[in-house]
Amino acid sequence: MEAVKNALDFSDFPRLDLTVAGLVLAFLLVFPALPHSGFAMATMIQFLMFSLYGMGWNTIGGYAGQVDLGKAQYNGIGAYTTAVMMVRWDAPFWVSMPVGLLFSIMWSFIIGYPLFRLKGHYFAIATIATSLVLKDVFESWDFVGAARGLAIPIRANLPDFLYLQFRHDYYYYYILLALFLLGILYLNAFRHSRLGYQLRAIKDNEDVAKSLGIDAHWCKIKAYAVATAYVSVVGSFHACYNFNIEPEDVMSLDLSVLIAMMALLGGAGSLWGPIIGAAILVPLKSYLGDWLGAESGLTGLNLVIYGVIIMVIAGAQPRGVWGMVEAVRARRRGGHAAA
Amino acid sequence: METLLIELLKSLVSGLLMGMVFALVALGLTIIFGVMDIVNFAHGEFLMFGMYTTLLVSPLMGVDPLLSLPVCGVVGAALGMVCYFGVVRFLLRGPMVAQLLGTFGLMLALRNLALLFMGSEPRLVKSGVLVGRSLVLGPGVVLESTKLAAAVLSIVSFVFVWWLIRRTKTGMALTATSLDKEGARYMGISTERMNALAWALGGASVAIAGGLLVNFWPVEPNVGLLFTMIAFATVALGGFGSIQGAFAAGILIGMIVYIPPVWDAATSFAGVDAPTIHGFKYTFVYLIYFLIMVLRPQGLFGWKQ
Amino acid sequence: MPLLEVMGVTKEFGGLTANWEVSFSLEENEAVGLIGPNGAGKTTLFNCIAGHFPVTSGRIIFNGRDITALKAHEVARLGLARTFQIFQAAGDLRVTENVMVGAFMRTASRREARSKAEAWLEFLEIGQAGQAMMTELPVAMQKRVALATALATEPKLLLLDEVAAGLNRSEIETIIPTLRRLHEEKGIALLLTEHVLEMVLALSHRVIVLESGRKIAEGHPEAVMKDPEVIRAYLGDHFIKRQREAQNA
Repeated sequence: MEAVKNALDFSDFPRLDLTVAGLVLAFLLVFPALPHSGFAMATMIQFLMFSLYGMGWNTIGGYAGQVDLGKAQYNGIGAYTTAVMMVRWDAPFWVSMPVGLLFSIMWSFIIGYPLFRLKGHYFAIATIATSLVLKDVFESWDFVGAARGLAIPIRANLPDFLYLQFRHDYYYYYILLALFLLGILYLNAFRHSRLGYQLRAIKDNEDVAKSLGIDAHWCKIKAYAVATAYVSVVGSFHACYNFNIEPEDVMSLDLSVLIAMMALLGGAGSLWGPIIGAAILVPLKSYLGDWLGAESGLTGLNLVIYGVIIMVIAGAQPRGVWGMVEAVRARRRGGHAAA
Repeated sequence: METLLIELLKSLVSGLLMGMVFALVALGLTIIFGVMDIVNFAHGEFLMFGMYTTLLVSPLMGVDPLLSLPVCGVVGAALGMVCYFGVVRFLLRGPMVAQLLGTFGLMLALRNLALLFMGSEPRLVKSGVLVGRSLVLGPGVVLESTKLAAAVLSIVSFVFVWWLIRRTKTGMALTATSLDKEGARYMGISTERMNALAWALGGASVAIAGGLLVNFWPVEPNVGLLFTMIAFATVALGGFGSIQGAFAAGILIGMIVYIPPVWDAATSFAGVDAPTIHGFKYTFVYLIYFLIMVLRPQGLFGWKQ
Repeated sequence: MPLLEVMGVTKEFGGLTANWEVSFSLEENEAVGLIGPNGAGKTTLFNCIAGHFPVTSGRIIFNGRDITALKAHEVARLGLARTFQIFQAAGDLRVTENVMVGAFMRTASRREARSKAEAWLEFLEIGQAGQAMMTELPVAMQKRVALATALATEPKLLLLDEVAAGLNRSEIETIIPTLRRLHEEKGIALLLTEHVLEMVLALSHRVIVLESGRKIAEGHPEAVMKDPEVIRAYLGDHFIKRQREAQNA
């Protein structure tokens, strides 16, 4: 009961934040009714997906401060569970998604236990290694289509809500939007929960946290599982939305880093951060890719620019956009800007 | 039995040769890590630049690919310095996250610069004294001269860099900084200059490794990541910051990469219907990194400088 | 039965001995000072007791339980809290939220944790700072918040590592009565290390002196301070020599 109350408790945000959030929500709700291109719709769907990935990453990477660069493996587990179950057993999304979630969480416990004995760089690189191992396995595992990947057969009657197959993108959009809102509420409850507080204490100083009775290792594993859940669900959705999945697509290192980027750019460890990050990076990436795409003969330039932006942000404001906002607010209050 | 033995011998030799190149690849990473505790995600991209340098320079200057190696060294050193002064220096003030992301951004930028200018098709050095020649060691055991030369020259380069670090005054200053930054600064050694030197040396050695590799390993813009991971695994195995460790671990990793083909030969020889695993050659490298970090974070040998 | 019993604890780092065969005990609701010159091994001993370091040999019993092999968070849950000498305020928690982290050890409810945290902040007379960010506070306030956080875990015994470090004279004078109230009103036993002897003497029923990792004296504060060995440890041999010369002259 208290969890529900916590999920709905936004009282610690200034009114300005809530007003902006309300306006954004209103826009998101009516967006499909506004005139828009198919490309814009696809970009919005990407935005919602990456917001969800980022919110998930935020639990372990933001609140707990553990830089996880292996989230793509859970996207892969979710996507593959859904695709395999649909292709082989004709199982609906609403069955395969929870199964994928279960697999993902089990896997996160198995590798989380040893992973969290590591810290800092070592942890980050090890998360990459685990994700690459799993990708290699999927690439040579015939049952899941190996490197060719899997194609989900199209249903006879559309729209099909059981299998998430639609002729129009706005169906996907609203389903994702619902997940997005749920994701925010859950993250809000998480932030207010005992675990949420304990993780922030761990991030500040692990020794102090331990002296307060916090089992840091176990808390990190739990947060890792929460992060995994977000990514896995979006992965399952991704399989239905894309029809075709292959390892290079759904579990590449680039995806892992992109997930972390969204949260870090927006401001890790804050509720709005990942959403802000996705709102900046997703359109930037897709429109840069469109303008500087294959026709222009400048393939790669978009990602060069992207890389440069990442470097500039990393050097200039490691706390992200939300960090800047907080710094401005702290200055207004007359206190010292939180560094 | 004979085919198995030949496979074993072949893999052993190949592993040994590749391992020597891996050692050179890892050398740069371990130097940079030792001096400034930073992990460079763009390490493999430096290698990729070295590969393209040889590919472009040798026909341009009309020399054999092997003679372009000094150019690779210079390009690598310059790239290292540019990256240090242009990017890395600004990341040092920030938290660890900033360093990870910053060097990742660097990787993305370098990789796609290559894509922009060189396109995505894989390329290989096609002519040169070494290309197409081989040394027959025994029935079925053929040594490609490109690999042999790469291994030998890798050792030469490795030893040369090691000599620079251990026997020259500047090299000793570098070692002093990696052991104790504060102390070295009191002795008048500028940390900033040593950092730049580490990036130059690191860049040069890995670019030379790239110049050697491209004689038998096709280059394309995405080639770097695999080598970055190999270098991480090697450095982890040898102990972060240790130079001797990098050498021994490089050779060990080279051998490990050839376990899957040997295993496949063994199972087919024994008539066991086991699935082939040669597709997992590099998976083992990632696994090794993971296991070493979890079980023995100080590296296999526990060597410190 | 004593609340805390330290029996022959030895702690070595590589070849260095930080603590050697240290034994002492502490009764319920007792306040004991642990003093000694810099590098005497006080903080190491704290870290061993609180489970941050594994001991090399010896045993530690707390509240009737052998806690020698327990980890820090397990020790904390049994009711042994501690503060840290070097406390770096960081992160994005506000003061009340910071204290709530301590309270969350005993409850999972945010409402309950908040009311407990607020009560402890009141007790430590910093209730007005609840909404501030940790990084915005002066050191003396940060130390009180850290103290409140440790207290919110509802300990039976509190280890205080150099509470007075970084505080000025008037701040030290105001924290002494607060600590005494803690001890007298809340019945929490205290084990404190301190450079500021005045503070140890004002608070402790008993004093233990460490030098080079060994216990060299134990007893009533005033008696211990007259012990020549303690004086030598603190002030060096030449001081005693000069004292003797002064007496002889």
